[in-house]
Amino acid sequence: MGEAKPADGTVDTFPKLLIDNARRIGARPAIREKDLGIWQAWTWQQVKDEVAAMAAGLKMYGFERGDSLAIVGDNRPQLYWAMTAAQALGGKPVPMYQDAVAEEMQYVLEHAEASFAIVEDQEQTDKLLEVMDRCPKLKEIVYKDPRGMRHYDQPFVRSLDSLMEAGRKFLAENPGWFEAEAAKGKGEDIAIMLYTSGTTGRPKGVMLSFDNVVITARNGVAWDKLDENDEVMAYLPMAWVGDNIFSYGQSYVAGFCVSCPESSDTVMLDLKEIGPTYFFAPPRVFENILTQVSIRMEDASKLNQWLYKKFMDVALRVGPQLLDGKPVSFMDRLMYGLGELLVYGPLKNELGFTRFRLAYTAGEAIGPDIFDFFRSLGVNIKQLYGSTEASVFICMQKNGDIKPDTVGPPATDVELKIADNGEVLFRSPGVFVAYYKNDEATKSTKTDDGWVMTGDAGFFDADGHLKIIDRAKDVGKLNGGTMFAPKYLENKLKFFPYITEAVAFGHERDYAAAFINIDLEAVGNWAERRGLAYSGYTDLSMRDEVYDLVAECVDKVNKDLSEDAALSGSQIKRFLILHKLLDADDGELTRTRKVRRSTVAERYGELINALYSGVDVCPVEATVTFEDGRTGTIKADVKIREAKIFPSQQAQAAE
Amino acid sequence: MAHERNIGDTILSVDQISLSFGGVKALSNISFAVKEHEVFAIIGPNGAGKSSMLNCINGFYHPQEGTITFKGNTRRQVRPSEAARQGIARTFQNIALFNGMSTLDNIMTGRNTKMNKGIFWQALRFGPAEKEEMEHRAVVERVIDFLEIEAIRKTAVGTLPYGLQKRVELGRALAAEPDLLLLDEPMAGMNLEEKQDMCRFILDVNDEFGTTIVLIEHDMGVVMDISDRVVVLDYGKKLAEGTPDEVRTNQDVIDAYLGVSHDDEEA
Amino acid sequence: MLFLLETVISGLMAGVMYALVALGFVLIFKASGIFNFAQGVFALFAGLALYDFIATDGWFYELFGFALPVWLGIIATMGVMIIVAWLVEFLVLRHLVNQEPIILFMSTIGLAYFLEGLGDILFGSDVKPLDIGLPQGASDYLLDNFNLYVEKLEVVAAVVAAVLVVVLAIFFQKTRIGRALRAVADDHQAALSVGISLRTIWVIVWSVSGFVALVAGVMWGSKSGIQFSLSLIALKALPVLILGGFTSVPGAIIGGLIIGVGEKVAEVFAGPYVGGAIENWFAYVLALGFLLIRPQGLFGEKIIERV
Repeated sequence: MGEAKPADGTVDTFPKLLIDNARRIGARPAIREKDLGIWQAWTWQQVKDEVAAMAAGLKMYGFERGDSLAIVGDNRPQLYWAMTAAQALGGKPVPMYQDAVAEEMQYVLEHAEASFAIVEDQEQTDKLLEVMDRCPKLKEIVYKDPRGMRHYDQPFVRSLDSLMEAGRKFLAENPGWFEAEAAKGKGEDIAIMLYTSGTTGRPKGVMLSFDNVVITARNGVAWDKLDENDEVMAYLPMAWVGDNIFSYGQSYVAGFCVSCPESSDTVMLDLKEIGPTYFFAPPRVFENILTQVSIRMEDASKLNQWLYKKFMDVALRVGPQLLDGKPVSFMDRLMYGLGELLVYGPLKNELGFTRFRLAYTAGEAIGPDIFDFFRSLGVNIKQLYGSTEASVFICMQKNGDIKPDTVGPPATDVELKIADNGEVLFRSPGVFVAYYKNDEATKSTKTDDGWVMTGDAGFFDADGHLKIIDRAKDVGKLNGGTMFAPKYLENKLKFFPYITEAVAFGHERDYAAAFINIDLEAVGNWAERRGLAYSGYTDLSMRDEVYDLVAECVDKVNKDLSEDAALSGSQIKRFLILHKLLDADDGELTRTRKVRRSTVAERYGELINALYSGVDVCPVEATVTFEDGRTGTIKADVKIREAKIFPSQQAQAAE
Repeated sequence: MAHERNIGDTILSVDQISLSFGGVKALSNISFAVKEHEVFAIIGPNGAGKSSMLNCINGFYHPQEGTITFKGNTRRQVRPSEAARQGIARTFQNIALFNGMSTLDNIMTGRNTKMNKGIFWQALRFGPAEKEEMEHRAVVERVIDFLEIEAIRKTAVGTLPYGLQKRVELGRALAAEPDLLLLDEPMAGMNLEEKQDMCRFILDVNDEFGTTIVLIEHDMGVVMDISDRVVVLDYGKKLAEGTPDEVRTNQDVIDAYLGVSHDDEEA
Repeated sequence: MLFLLETVISGLMAGVMYALVALGFVLIFKASGIFNFAQGVFALFAGLALYDFIATDGWFYELFGFALPVWLGIIATMGVMIIVAWLVEFLVLRHLVNQEPIILFMSTIGLAYFLEGLGDILFGSDVKPLDIGLPQGASDYLLDNFNLYVEKLEVVAAVVAAVLVVVLAIFFQKTRIGRALRAVADDHQAALSVGISLRTIWVIVWSVSGFVALVAGVMWGSKSGIQFSLSLIALKALPVLILGGFTSVPGAIIGGLIIGVGEKVAEVFAGPYVGGAIENWFAYVLALGFLLIRPQGLFGEKIIERV
């Protein structure tokens, strides 16, 4: 693949890559979308024509060089094209989280000074109209889907079709205009602005240059030998840097086809139809898939259950070794082959994983059980460590050198060092230009010689793999002096299928303690099988039986911790199951579903106090936001349990 | 809802309809007219004769007296399949779906009146029937897209939750591209969110396709918001007819609803 | 060993015959929820009509002075079966819309006796050898090479049954009429509301099952002649249906084969110990056992009550 591409930097922007792809592989599919039940495909040549028409249309309605173009919606071909169109015009595309509420959008629109917005549908148009008077720069809203838009008579709201129609007319009179516009772009220009959701404070606009994204994408493509025959499913938010690399940057560089699902509900079905070869998903997705498989197996016939158990044992024993090319006995090979025929193959087919060459996961630690499960099926799942500020790749695992608890060695061209406080620093071609209109934040994150502070604490293991334990600022100390890494504890808890979320406390406290959210589906299923009736989450969470179940999990975590000298002192002494699920709508989680620690600590202060006093029960009231925006209160008596504390293994050995 | 539509001429007129079952009068002397592109509601307490009225319109019941005029054709007795061919589609109070079939097949049956290629071609899936099947599939896919039920296209409807089943049933009716859509308590048994969704779909159907809608509702609140005009029945008699505001302030209507308010608890 | 094989094969062939009759039951049951007790008599009636068209001692010959060639006779018989289907709808079903299944079932019992009587009056009650030119006797090839005795007719019957099943499956799954049939089976009112005419559908279903009855009648008739005991095969089809499930086309086939083989093998190997005649009751005992373990049959839809 790489040889046909000039590496000398002449093709250094996405508009230029698009023109180049249309020339080289113009008849190959570039992007697909399932619309009205049928997969529609556009070739690179067609995409180039569409993008040119869109760029010309934007130009005609007054989009200027340097303007920002807000893009809001699910993954749609037209929205990806809008990015290239804006880039060709020397503008900055700003993809935004489509599930954000109007107020959240207002901040980004205003801060990015977006003059145009291209949105998917009526829902997004309505949100923008709601905040438009507070975004003085915003002058045009262009919608893709005309459904329900008939009665919108605002002069600044128009359909993408009409805009592109105008663009096509312009192009007919000005052939070569698009190529000339694209040629004006340079590698150091800003390619895209991505707003990081941020666990604290306002979102920051990360500016990435073409060089950042294109070079990083090229390195990634070379690392995993991607080419135009690969297939990718674009289903993660376009506002997220990962999607920008996997579904956009790498697609343009390697020339592979990206498929957009029919809707967010149909991703799993579409996955099965498309059969991607290259896949990215946060650990949560893999975890959900494993939970679904387990639940379905519990309802399966006895014979299927037996087969599944029998062959999964074989797979877990020898699957990962086979995948890594390590020697395995003939008998085991034979059994694994039989398993592939009877269990793994059909299962992978059902999940749409059959053609996976490689799958990445990142963003959070993945449970070792989950990681092993997929690897044992022959799914080459690997971990990577990245950030928006790095244009994704910082560390990534190499084929054949995989460990479940590290994120691998540094990626191509990436330098890494660990600061004295344990914080991980990196320097790479992908390092962002600056935060938009926020020099202060830029200075505090990026040093003058280009090192970026990740804010994560970690260390290298003996093989040079990076191991991340927590956010650097979150790593604290118990009163006794033991290191306390809350995220590490929380992840260990969350690796149990029954626990969906956990928040650990302990910094400047006498011992570690935790809030737990149970997984309604998994525990609900468990409860149903035991004939335990319950009316909802709150009811279920307060059952003694459920507490017993969770206590077992906490005990196991403590057992694990006791085996590690540094962390043995931070075993979880007391825990409680929260009476409600932590929710992004209540501001307790970020949109990327990370816990907002300060909000939780503030809102549940009395519960934290209860964890550190001797009481067994704590009455609470909580405000919840329903999906329609109304709010209500839940009252409950939350119980507090003691967990088993294990003596430190090292200490025992010394005796 | 204050959006503009071209309310047209009368599309359905019901004249002096009386219906009785073995001497028990279900409807007596009911008359009203529904205009093209209108959302028209029939409301009333339980046992008021709302469903009977709907069943007369689509030919399930044959009234003993009176006539129904639809698109200029006056008739007293019509077979349901004939009514369907004339452009009347409906949903049911207690969902009536084909449980063994997928969502897609259920909605495909809605195209029944529009299919006419011979059985021979169909069996072979060849020639004209193949093309016809594709055309119908395209219409059905638009309905699926409209109702946002892509994810359950291949799911057997019997396994779907209640709210989705209601949506599939609406989809089957829409697939017929009807001129008149009869909805029998479309919001019955739904939670607030599902009701809001259903309201939105009903208004969108009316708006996008210009379909005339006659709906029955037991719960007054929702109906008043989405209907252009309302007729109120009680014990098989017409109490009032007019805009929601007119009906709301009508003393007879208030009395009827107050007098039978206990029905709400039973429902 | 060879003997066992022969027994199994002859059982399989008998099973195909059962399956053919059971298939007619399944069709009507699937599409209208009616258990058509008259299915066996349909097969008899079809056989009698066909015989009459093509033989020289029937009404047709008497009236017109010539007999129809076999292929035309089959078409004419099919015409008769369609008329019967139409009459059943017009005279019986139309008046029983929305009645309880048990009432419809009773009406088919009446229908069975009526048709049997009618056949008797029209065609007489003597056994009629039906010969439409199907191959007779044992397969020389199998006999010479494998020393295996298999009737050619039985092989033909198996092939015909297989073709029939494929055709019916396509008809049900792929055509609009098939979809309409399934719709009617699921919910009458809903089917009506989308413009499906119940009357048309019923005539079609009964015609199709008439066609299946014709095939069954021809096969049985070619084997052992057309006689009134044919209507009793209907009773054998009952255990077949219990085994296979009332709504499953493949179930009818597999069920038929199991019963066919089961009763032959039981007769040959266990018969001597219990005094024989196992063939007469084996199927029913097997079905009884099945009802206890798996009431929906091998392939039947599980009956799920949604709460």
